[in-house]
Amino acid sequence: MSGDERVSFRLNGEAVSADAPVRMHAADFLRHRLGWIGTHIGCEQGVCGMCTILVDGAAIKSCLMLAVQLDGTEVRTVESLAEGDRLNAAQEAFKRHHALQCGYCTPGFLMLAESLKASGRALTRTEIREELAGALCRCTGYENILGAVEEYLSSETPGVEGPE
Amino acid sequence: MSAARQSLIGAALPRKEDDRLLRGDGLFTDDVQLAHQLEMAVGRCPFPRAAIGAIDLAQARALPGVRHILTGADVRAASEPLTVLRPVPGAPLLPYYALAGEEAIHEGQPVVSVAATSRAIAEDALELIDIDYEPLPHVTDTLGALADDAPVLHPGTLPSNLLTSNVDRAGEPESRMAAAPVVVEGRFHVNRVSALPMEARGIVARWRAGARMLEVYASTQTPHLIRQQLAECLPLDEGCIRVVASDVGGGFGMKLGLYPEDVLAVLHAMALQRPVKWIEDRLEFFRASTQAREAVFDVRIGAEADGRIVAITNQYTTDLGAWNSTYGSAQLSSVVFTGPYKVADAAVERRVALTNKTPIGAYRGYGQPEVNFALEVLVDRLARRLGIDPLELRRKNMLRPEDLPWTTPSRAVYDNGDYLKTLQLAADAVDYNSHRAGRRNNRDDERLTGIGFASFVERTGYASARFLAGRGSRFGAHESVGLRANRSGGVDLYTGVSTFGQGSETAFAQICAEVFGIDYEAITVHAGDSGASPLNTGAFASRTLIAAAGAIREAADALRDKTLRIAAMVLQSTPDALEVSGRVVRVADEPGRSLPLADIFTRAIIGQGIPEDEEPGLEAAAHFEPSHASFSFGTAAAVVSVDPESGEFDVERFVMAHDCGVVVNPPLVEGQVRGGLVQGLGAALAEELRYDESTGQLVSGSMLDYFAPTIMDVPPIDLLHTEVPSPVTTFGVRGVGEVGTIPPAAAVANALCDALADDGVEFSTLPLTPERVWQALAAARDARVAHEPK
Repeated sequence: MSGDERVSFRLNGEAVSADAPVRMHAADFLRHRLGWIGTHIGCEQGVCGMCTILVDGAAIKSCLMLAVQLDGTEVRTVESLAEGDRLNAAQEAFKRHHALQCGYCTPGFLMLAESLKASGRALTRTEIREELAGALCRCTGYENILGAVEEYLSSETPGVEGPE
Repeated sequence: MSAARQSLIGAALPRKEDDRLLRGDGLFTDDVQLAHQLEMAVGRCPFPRAAIGAIDLAQARALPGVRHILTGADVRAASEPLTVLRPVPGAPLLPYYALAGEEAIHEGQPVVSVAATSRAIAEDALELIDIDYEPLPHVTDTLGALADDAPVLHPGTLPSNLLTSNVDRAGEPESRMAAAPVVVEGRFHVNRVSALPMEARGIVARWRAGARMLEVYASTQTPHLIRQQLAECLPLDEGCIRVVASDVGGGFGMKLGLYPEDVLAVLHAMALQRPVKWIEDRLEFFRASTQAREAVFDVRIGAEADGRIVAITNQYTTDLGAWNSTYGSAQLSSVVFTGPYKVADAAVERRVALTNKTPIGAYRGYGQPEVNFALEVLVDRLARRLGIDPLELRRKNMLRPEDLPWTTPSRAVYDNGDYLKTLQLAADAVDYNSHRAGRRNNRDDERLTGIGFASFVERTGYASARFLAGRGSRFGAHESVGLRANRSGGVDLYTGVSTFGQGSETAFAQICAEVFGIDYEAITVHAGDSGASPLNTGAFASRTLIAAAGAIREAADALRDKTLRIAAMVLQSTPDALEVSGRVVRVADEPGRSLPLADIFTRAIIGQGIPEDEEPGLEAAAHFEPSHASFSFGTAAAVVSVDPESGEFDVERFVMAHDCGVVVNPPLVEGQVRGGLVQGLGAALAEELRYDESTGQLVSGSMLDYFAPTIMDVPPIDLLHTEVPSPVTTFGVRGVGEVGTIPPAAAVANALCDALADDGVEFSTLPLTPERVWQALAAARDARVAHEPK
């Protein structure tokens, strides 16, 4: 039931090595053991998508993953997006489109957008909608999120770096 | 004179809130992490009603990491019942303690609470606690609770489960109804739903015994009212309590006022003298946070043969759940029960029923979506009965600009507006004329098209503290703001209105910049800290801007006047000849003669180089109470397509024509309306907190079972605005936070009835699922077969 395991992985470009209780999920581990609180938690059953992060370039609901499963992976969270004071292109698009209100779901949607960008696939508006259906937003009604993601995906700007 | 600056009222300025939230740098409750912090978990009653016998804590106490356990007896010894801020007028309060005592009366009611070194250990401890529950008879059906043989929830206080009933009326509705050539009536069931903010509730409490200071970080829309309630409940002087709500991950009315878990976290923290955190998990959220809406309406409309409505009566029963939460059940159904229509003879009776379910609380709309569904569906039914087009029937009965201001039968005063214009805009947007001309069956996919309308007025803000006092509400109608100049040449704006997505930081700064003349970027908003902001009421009832705009204007005027007086001395001019522009004060006629605001502000703050008769300091606080509520209004149109065999349907398009008076920031307004519409569509089409009557269990109480809309569920939505300035508010604004939730259910129901007009189906129950459409079709066809000649 309890007991810790050593977990070593790369988080937002830096090597991390820390002990994780074996029953702790990755979202709690990132937030409460490592202090990266940009990733939010909304349901802990894989429905709401608040905790979406990139693991080896793929969008993952980190509440459905155990912390120990991060061992050996390359992880990106919302904190990796801005450079210094400069927002990245996805964040700028969200801002321009008023794609956030309370902002609680925003990190999840941003990382979802980054995973789509990283895939390099050309997506139709309908396909983008399908891809975004894994995360909930209760404030915006989604239209502006869709507009922001669509603009970001069609821009020339490169997304976050993939795994090294 | 220099060119007049472009007004900031109506400008789409970028949001103050965005940068931190986009970077994951917001500060939500679970982001607060204090040294030596413990975590709390709450054990909840698994039955809808049970007597609580022995509680065996021995094993839990022995678990390593467990620090403190509270039971109902401990809570009674250490605290008072949670207070009610918006009581049901004329009814006993039904207050409750943070933990159940001898009896729990809804599934999920807190019974025991554990503080431990981690949440996981606290939850392990709950598993080790043995509680003797003896299930007792319960009732979960709203009307069933009022039956003679229903088990009574609060026998010590009430003889039945009817908490109270109250009537608003005007004219002679009964005799007008009796004389009316046409009367339609219906019973409408409105579903119990959840506001479902993406961040559930949470609290971090720290008691510094030596300082006698309780610091509370909470996810709340009302930090100052939480402070008041904590003081009442603990009891403790308000001066010993500071409540901070930094970023709040959605509220929608659900995060108003004190909850039992807030008290529990504080009691643990005070007993242990260590910080205690409680973060509501989603499973407990569905049982512990207030639920909303559930009601049954019996409505009658009497009309002349030409369609003129002569009387409306409405007797409705609203489900309070087991207790009176801080804000209780919705009260606005009675206020707007006649909608936008010119009906002088009308009566409404509100009955409040108690059931063994989670308490009801405020949720966006607060009674207005509920009554709109009943009224607007029945208006369409009247149109069908009379053979009059629903659009024409609305047109015939709507209040016209010259009828306003209009005092409704429940004595609300609609301020002004052009209701018919929004009706026409919505009709034109969906090309209603050509639909009428027979486009309904003009599809090649065998589906039927229907268009439905729902018109509405929405009360926004409160009509003065006197009005609230008359209803027993224990908060003011005002808002307040504090402005403080700083030595960098900027202005700090302090507000008790916390930030939960509504964009108040942006709108407040925008108004301050407009009035003061300073750059928008030079204003820093400090929101939601009771230790920094002037006492206020909080953000709910679509009241924030209506009340706060006046306070900001007053405070900014005072700050500007003093700034100009000081500058006049330095520039050897007169205040009248000066203006604030961006980061400087300048002579209006000679823009070259200017002084940086940083210079003036520094002089004022340190009291050096200011006129002899000026006091040092440059800050102002203002409180503003609106004299009236303002009424937003509009019309929604839904376009649906239905498979007439299966009942499966799509909302293909949704149009909202809406007026919220003068718009301060257009994207913020559109965001509020659009987000509200999607919540309204969710409640209309899929969301439901359903209780099993026999077991009293919530059967849709997880994120997997509660169908909040995803992006795939949202139809294309077009927003149309008119902008009639309200005559009763600062700048002519009206509230906008709740409006989207009001018309979706009725508009979709009416569209379905229109599409299936040949079958004569009616809808009276929410949510409108494909199954319900199929059932309505089957019932209508069965009825037709039964009536056909053999």
